[in-house]
Amino acid sequence: MKTALPEDIADFAAIATKRLVRLGGPQAALRAETDDQLRQDARTALSDLGAFDLDVRSSSEDLLAAAVLCQAAGATALPYPLVEELLAVDGARLALVNPEAPRVDHGDLAGNWIAADLDGTRYQVQPSSRTSAKLGPFLVPATLSQPDGTVPAVDVDLHLTLGSWRIVGAVQQCLEITRQHVVARKQFGKPLAEFQAVRFTIADASVAARGLYELAKYTISRVESSPAQIRSADALILRLKAADTARQVLRTAHQLLGALGFCDESDISVLDRHTQSLIRLPVSAEVLAMRLLPGVRGGQLETLFSGPVSRG
Amino acid sequence: MDYDLGTDAVELRKRLRALISTHIPEGFLGACTDDPRDLATTESFCKMLASDGLLALAWPKEHGGGGGSVWQQTVLREEMWAHHEPRGAQYMGVNWVGPALMRYGTAEQKARHLSAIAGGEVIWCQGFSEPEAGTDLASLRTRAIPDGDGWRITGQKVWTSYARMASWCVLAACTDPNAPKPQRLSLFLVPMDRPGITVRPIRSMLGPHHLNEVFLDGVEVFSDEVLGEVGDGWRVMREALAFERVGIARYARCESLLDRMQAELGDDWDRLPEAIRTRWVRALIDLRVARLLAYRAVSLQDDRSAGAAASAARIATTTCDQQVAELLFDVLGPSALDSGPSAALHGAVEDHWRYAQAATVASGTIEVQRMLVARETLGDHA
Repeated sequence: MKTALPEDIADFAAIATKRLVRLGGPQAALRAETDDQLRQDARTALSDLGAFDLDVRSSSEDLLAAAVLCQAAGATALPYPLVEELLAVDGARLALVNPEAPRVDHGDLAGNWIAADLDGTRYQVQPSSRTSAKLGPFLVPATLSQPDGTVPAVDVDLHLTLGSWRIVGAVQQCLEITRQHVVARKQFGKPLAEFQAVRFTIADASVAARGLYELAKYTISRVESSPAQIRSADALILRLKAADTARQVLRTAHQLLGALGFCDESDISVLDRHTQSLIRLPVSAEVLAMRLLPGVRGGQLETLFSGPVSRG
Repeated sequence: MDYDLGTDAVELRKRLRALISTHIPEGFLGACTDDPRDLATTESFCKMLASDGLLALAWPKEHGGGGGSVWQQTVLREEMWAHHEPRGAQYMGVNWVGPALMRYGTAEQKARHLSAIAGGEVIWCQGFSEPEAGTDLASLRTRAIPDGDGWRITGQKVWTSYARMASWCVLAACTDPNAPKPQRLSLFLVPMDRPGITVRPIRSMLGPHHLNEVFLDGVEVFSDEVLGEVGDGWRVMREALAFERVGIARYARCESLLDRMQAELGDDWDRLPEAIRTRWVRALIDLRVARLLAYRAVSLQDDRSAGAAASAARIATTTCDQQVAELLFDVLGPSALDSGPSAALHGAVEDHWRYAQAATVASGTIEVQRMLVARETLGDHA
């Protein structure tokens, strides 16, 4: 068993992070809310990193590279629909939507779009214009056509999985910002990090973030080898855990940063607002859990006693 | 990156399951019950594991062990705990007394004890905790006063698991109250039938044998019974307990219980309230995460970050234990409190709930684990 990223992937992750940080990180994402040039710059950075040469559908190595790229994008709140473009169908970015209330992140960007729901039903999509929302500021309400065929289930699974890697990056970055804050910020004559209540809160957030990261690595490592139903359950499991963990860690970050964390000059505010679209859409964590219910009795939620793990 | 345990570990899992299904009776809930047949079951099962080199799987072959890989050891931990620890009270001797003897024991101590532990012939207990020193073990008060070639030990131990079953004890006592805290303690290997030792069982919600008091009244110990150096007990204790760093594979029993409960419910599972079924989903996910955190800690081995990784795994695993205990009780509703063979899963659910209450206390409290994770994340403040 090897639970660490391969060295070349870890190297690529470091390079990707450096490049996206150079772009300006969450503060650049904040400016992108009002300046479209930043989103073009984001695309240029991704292009420099070779993002659009990655074949996530047929190369497990490219998929892993895409995962760590999404992680870096999540950590920097990169204002670009990276997952949607990595999974483009015939040049049209693939948006994962809830047909009851279709919204497309960055749907106002030039280029073609296609949409699918969690069942893989495909739709032609007509994005409207941005609403300048605080939460999910790049979300664009959209109109869907009647169902127009299907997309392969693996596309939906990869969409959920790579989106989860963006959440992983955001969670890890929020924890790091919070760590730096409690070490530096003094109250009652000593750093916040010396108060046991703060230390325990950080420990719990750290365990949650570590757990999510291990689950993300495990999930991506077996996309290719798992039977379709297991792979789909894995993707839902990861997205559900990512959403739950993000809510916990963001809550911790806000509580420990105090009023500062609500200000856009703090990266926590930007990461929180910009990651909400991934946490809440295309469906809530509760709906994800309900979609997993048949997998309990069906054996798709593998345990040591139900699936390949027990076989090996 | 791969999560394959390896062919040898997978084969071991199959072999262990076959052995358990053949030799462990249905409804077995461990050695710590009022039925002496359960203890007898574990004794004969241990001897059988020992004859196959499986009892001390992790040990080098020269000491009677199986020389197993870390992943085989992981599988052994999972399967034993999932099936209510059919090794019974051997757990302590095999998992840390033996490895500590290998590292710190004299040639005579190794010759005397190691083959007996590997052979499943002897039960050990651990005389550490005291009424006023639990987590803060360096502050314990039991005194060893020099006397001739050795010492006389007087004091009291508490929460000592298996003390009534054990024939040997690793006993921690203060040999120099004036020394700096880390140099006050020494460890002694003491037979439990030595004059001056009195064991009093403590009635508890955990069941018999789990908790005892041990009174020490001028117990004679000799210089050749010291484990490691005199005054080095705190370091030996800490290093020895690190052998068990990853801790009990509690997630494995939780997964087993959920699997068995689902089978018992059959189609009734679909009629459980939706809120309970979605909790079930989240429990299975959290158990997967706990298992992956444990695998991560195992794979780090001697890396300097392994300690915090193990603490993270313990926090995740012990909280899952209690989460699953509550979930299963809520599934059972009015029959949750029933115990014994006629209760759900032969009483395993009720047994699990009681035992899960200790998950975040035993072998290092969850607060200590949080302190260790926080220390790695935040540095040495506080």
